Parts: sequence; C-alpha cells; structure tokens
Amino acid sequence: MIFTIFKKELKETLRDRRTILMMIVIPVLLIPVILNVSVGIMSSVEKEASAKELRIGIIGNKNCFVGKELEAIPATFGKKKISYYSNAASLQKDLQKDSLDLGVMEDALLKDKFSKKTPATILWYFKGTEMGMEERAKGYMQYLENKTQQQRYQEMKIDGTELKPLIPVYKNIASDKEMIGKLAGGFLPYIFIAFGFMGCMYPAIDLFTGEKERGTIETMLVVPVARWKILFGKMGVVILSGLLASSFSLLGLYISLNYSDVIQVPEIKEVIQSILTVKFILILFLLLIPLTVFFAGVLIPLAIYSKSFKEAQSIITPLNLVMILPAMLASFIPGFELNYATACIPVINVVLASKDLIAGTLDMGMLAVSFLVMAIFAGSSVFLSNYQFGKESNVSN
Amino acid sequence: MIEVKDLRKEFPLSKQQKAEIQTTDTVSVAVDSISFTCQPGKVFSLLGPNGAGKTTTLRMLATIFNPTSGTISICGHDSVKESELVRKKIGFLTGSTGLYGRLTPNELITYFGDLYGVSKADQAIRKEKLYDLLDMHDFQNKRIAKLSTGMKQKVSICRTMIHDPEVVIFDEPTSGLDVITAENIIELIRDCKTQGKTVIFSSHIMSEVDLLCDDLAIINKGKLLHQGTMDAFRANMQETNLTAEFIRIIRNS
Repeated sequence: MIFTIFKKELKETLRDRRTILMMIVIPVLLIPVILNVSVGIMSSVEKEASAKELRIGIIGNKNCFVGKELEAIPATFGKKKISYYSNAASLQKDLQKDSLDLGVMEDALLKDKFSKKTPATILWYFKGTEMGMEERAKGYMQYLENKTQQQRYQEMKIDGTELKPLIPVYKNIASDKEMIGKLAGGFLPYIFIAFGFMGCMYPAIDLFTGEKERGTIETMLVVPVARWKILFGKMGVVILSGLLASSFSLLGLYISLNYSDVIQVPEIKEVIQSILTVKFILILFLLLIPLTVFFAGVLIPLAIYSKSFKEAQSIITPLNLVMILPAMLASFIPGFELNYATACIPVINVVLASKDLIAGTLDMGMLAVSFLVMAIFAGSSVFLSNYQFGKESNVSN
Repeated sequence: MIEVKDLRKEFPLSKQQKAEIQTTDTVSVAVDSISFTCQPGKVFSLLGPNGAGKTTTLRMLATIFNPTSGTISICGHDSVKESELVRKKIGFLTGSTGLYGRLTPNELITYFGDLYGVSKADQAIRKEKLYDLLDMHDFQNKRIAKLSTGMKQKVSICRTMIHDPEVVIFDEPTSGLDVITAENIIELIRDCKTQGKTVIFSSHIMSEVDLLCDDLAIINKGKLLHQGTMDAFRANMQETNLTAEFIRIIRNS
C-alpha cells in the first residue's frame, strides 16, 4: 500500500510544474548561472582593479623624497597619477571627497634622519571603506623600504645577508585537491543542502497542505490503509524530490564543468573533476539521505498544521533561513572544522563532513558519528510527522 | 447496518477560541450522547441546521474522528477497534469532496480500487458498469482539473462505489451543485437503497429528505431532538409542510 500511495503521489508531483521547476530546472540551470556570474564578477573586479589608475596625493613637491621615489616606481605596480599638496588638510579633504585614493606625507626631518641613519616616518592616508587601498599603500611602502634599506647597506658597506640570521621558508604541503577542495568545500555542500531543502519544500506543501486545501484529505482518511502507511507513501515522494533536487544540482555542476567555459584554469577544472568520483557521490548521498529525511520530517508537520498553501509558505519560509543559515555559516566560516562536537550538530555536521570529503581529509569515525546523529534526528522528525498526521485537529480543516 | 450508542464528541478549545466564544470551558461539545440505528435497504437522514453536529457525526461514522465516548458499530464491527475493517465496508461522499486534479478519472478510480484491495478483474467489471451508468466513457482519460463540476461529481460517485460498499455515508452531497448534477446523487442514493445497502445522509434540504428517506433524526447543537420513521414524522406534523415543521422543532429546542 505504501508503494501504491508513493507511485500515485510521484505521478501527481511530476505533473506539477512548480515542483518540476524547483526539483529539476532550477538546480540544473542555476548552478551554471551562479558559476558564470560569480566567475564573471570576480574576473571583472580583478580587471577593473588592475586597470584602475591610483590617484596619489603627496604633501610636498616633485623634489621631495617620496615624490621622486613614487614617480620612479615601475608600472608593474599598477597605473598611478600623482598630485602635490601644500598641506595635510586639503589632501584629507580630497580623500574624503573621493578625489584621491591615497595620501602620503614624509617626515619633515627626513633628510636629517637619513644623514643620521635614524628611522624616518612615512605617513599614509587612506579610507578603510575603499577596498584594497591599505594593501596598495603597504605594497608601495614595502618597495620604498627595501630600496632605502639596500642603499643604506651600501653606504655603510654592510652585507645585508649578515643582518638576516633566519630565512623563513613556508612550504604548503596541501595538495591542489586539498586547496581547491577546501575552497570548493565551502560552496558545494551549501548548494546541495539548499537545493535539497527547496526540493522538499513544494512537494511537502502540495502533498499535505494541498490535500487539505483541495478537500481530498477526507477521501484518503476513509480508505482501509493505516495512517502511517499513507504518511510514509507521501513522505517517500518528499524525500525523493529533495534528493533529486540535490542530484540535479550536482548534474548542473557537471554540465558547467564539461560543457561550458566557466572555469578557464585547466588545473582547477581537473581538480574539481577528480573530486566528482563515484566514491565521493556515494559518501555524499550517505550524508544527504538522512539529512533529506530530516528536512522532510521537519517540513511535513508544518505543512500538516497549515490550512492553506499561503499559510504553509509563510511558516516554512523563515524555517528555510533557520535550516540553511547554519549550513551557510559552516560553509563559509574559515577554521570551523569537523570534530566530535560539531559532528553532533545536525545540518552543520553534513556541511563540515562534505567539506572534508571534498578535501580528501574525511575521518571515517567522524563520518560515522555525523551519519548516526543525522539518522537519529531523521528518525525523530519522522516520529514527529507521524504524531502530527495522526492528530484529528490537524488533518481536516 | 449502523448502530450508534451514546455518541459524544468533544474538541479541545484553544485560548483564542475560548476568548472568541467567551467561555471558560476547556472543550466544546460537538455531539452530545446521541443514539440511532440505520437499517440495510433503508435511507436514514440526519437533519439539522449548520453547526448542529451532522458532519462531526458522519466523520465519526467514517472513522475520520474517534468518538470521545459512546460506540459505533458498522456491519458488526467497532469503528475504533476495527477501523480498517469498517473502512472497507463504507463509501464516503461529501458535497465538498475534492479530487486529484492532475490525475485522470481512470487513474483515480484505479488508485482507490487498489487502496480498497479490489482485484484488477473486479475493478475492470465495476468500472465498466459505473462508466456506463454515469456516462463517463468520453472523459475517463482527461485530466480531472479540466472537467466540469458535473463530470467531477460523477468521478466522485465512481470513487465512492468502486469497492461496492455495504454502507454509504453522504454528507450534504448535493450542496453547491446545480439541479442536474444533484440529480445524479439522488439517483445514486436510490440505487443504493434498491441494492440493499445501508445509506445515511445529512442534509438541510427538506425536499430531498421527503423524496428519499425512510427514517430520520433531527439534531441541533449536538443533541438529538427527534428520531423515527419518515411516515411517523409526516403523520405527527404540527405545521403545514416539512420545512416549517423542521424549523418548529429546531426553535422549540
């Protein structure tokens, strides 16, 4: 009987354009669009930043130390336009008005300090609200510092290497797969989870609230089938829809990698393709199945409680944030790792385990704990759905 | 056969509901100790104004609601302890019953046939008979959402009868229907009676009651006000017509 109900509900669901849109069309099309847009924005921001002419204001004249040195800095540091000011007030005013990007003032006693071989101050003005200006200032300063230091070593006839007892060497032992995995790991699980939730949402509302709204629920409740079997048949379709939405988002990713030129760096493409293995997909689904059951088990009682499609949407939309926000935080907050504590937090454990899975550093013990925790939450949510579906007050309007 | 004894149904009241109806009671009594019997081959009518408790009573008979107290026996089976057995015996149709718009009548009837455990061979025979009777052949494979109200009502009748129930429960079956569509229901009730089925239907349209019923019960505010045969009701009327007599009984309560 469960299968009879499942088949009928699936047939009806697949005939609903809204569900098809959320379950198949959006996941398949949206991933290439998201990738295209984000890669496009990133490259245009980079292009714009490198092409942008930096407007630097110097307090002093062309013959001052900073003026001469900055004018001589090679174009590889980016385009620049230098103007000169007689006082700090007018320079700061132009910075406030956004007529300038950076301001520089050298120490008034710079020449004296140079001759006495003591340090002189170079004061940089910038607006913290303008992205990247501090880094540009630090870049120029590093250049000036190195050049001046070398000159001083020559004047003092000192071998610079003698003053540098330690040479730091930082070697990154993470593989390309790990590096990109950690980066992609922040993005991919979030996508699968978000689509999985949205994939469950419409069928849950349609199959439970919709039955009440359309007046069909009474006909179901008088058939000689136990209520839990009716619930399980319907729930099966909600879970399948969620899993299909996640699978189609994976398909969307595969299509974007293979049939579009979104990612133009072949190494990144290779690494992402090497991540999408059968083993990866199987383990991912091992985590996604209890997660999707949990989503269905949380959505169904709310859908049963709601009296209309509109009411269900207004209740479930905030839940969307409650469910997806932790996934987003776990996805994008650096340093948030899978351990025995985080493995016990539903949704977050799936995101963190997926991140490690993508990076190839997933600990099987943690995977087992995450799966067990999700299975317990999924089971509890099914129990809750069954309780709610059995309540007379919530079943009929 | 339906036997109802001391049937009572209470619904818990929420804080908001208590404030709305200005009461300190924790429950509202929808049906209050009613008893009646419906015989096979007879049509029993449950009459009452809106909010009298007719729908709640019929939902308890159909096992959608469990009684707070009292018992219901349908074809000798207890509606609570043997609810699945009871459901196999009953057909339930209401005026507001919806249908699955994305399915075709054929798909819907097969689905309910399967749920009622009707064999494929019996389904085929009953479908053919019902489609002939209700003239459904032309639209059996069209999506239900695209059918007219009359066509949908025929599909509902077919769904109710596919498992050949012994007991048929109708809750205001003609409400909101035009006279031609309502006539299909009237015909169905007559057919059920002829076939020896037990029929109970709720209504507040006295012309329908006059036309169809053998026994009747009048309820108001959950309480049983009158019970007996239709002939006895007619014989003891104090008013000139059925509607006026019905109103008199309700007002006197």
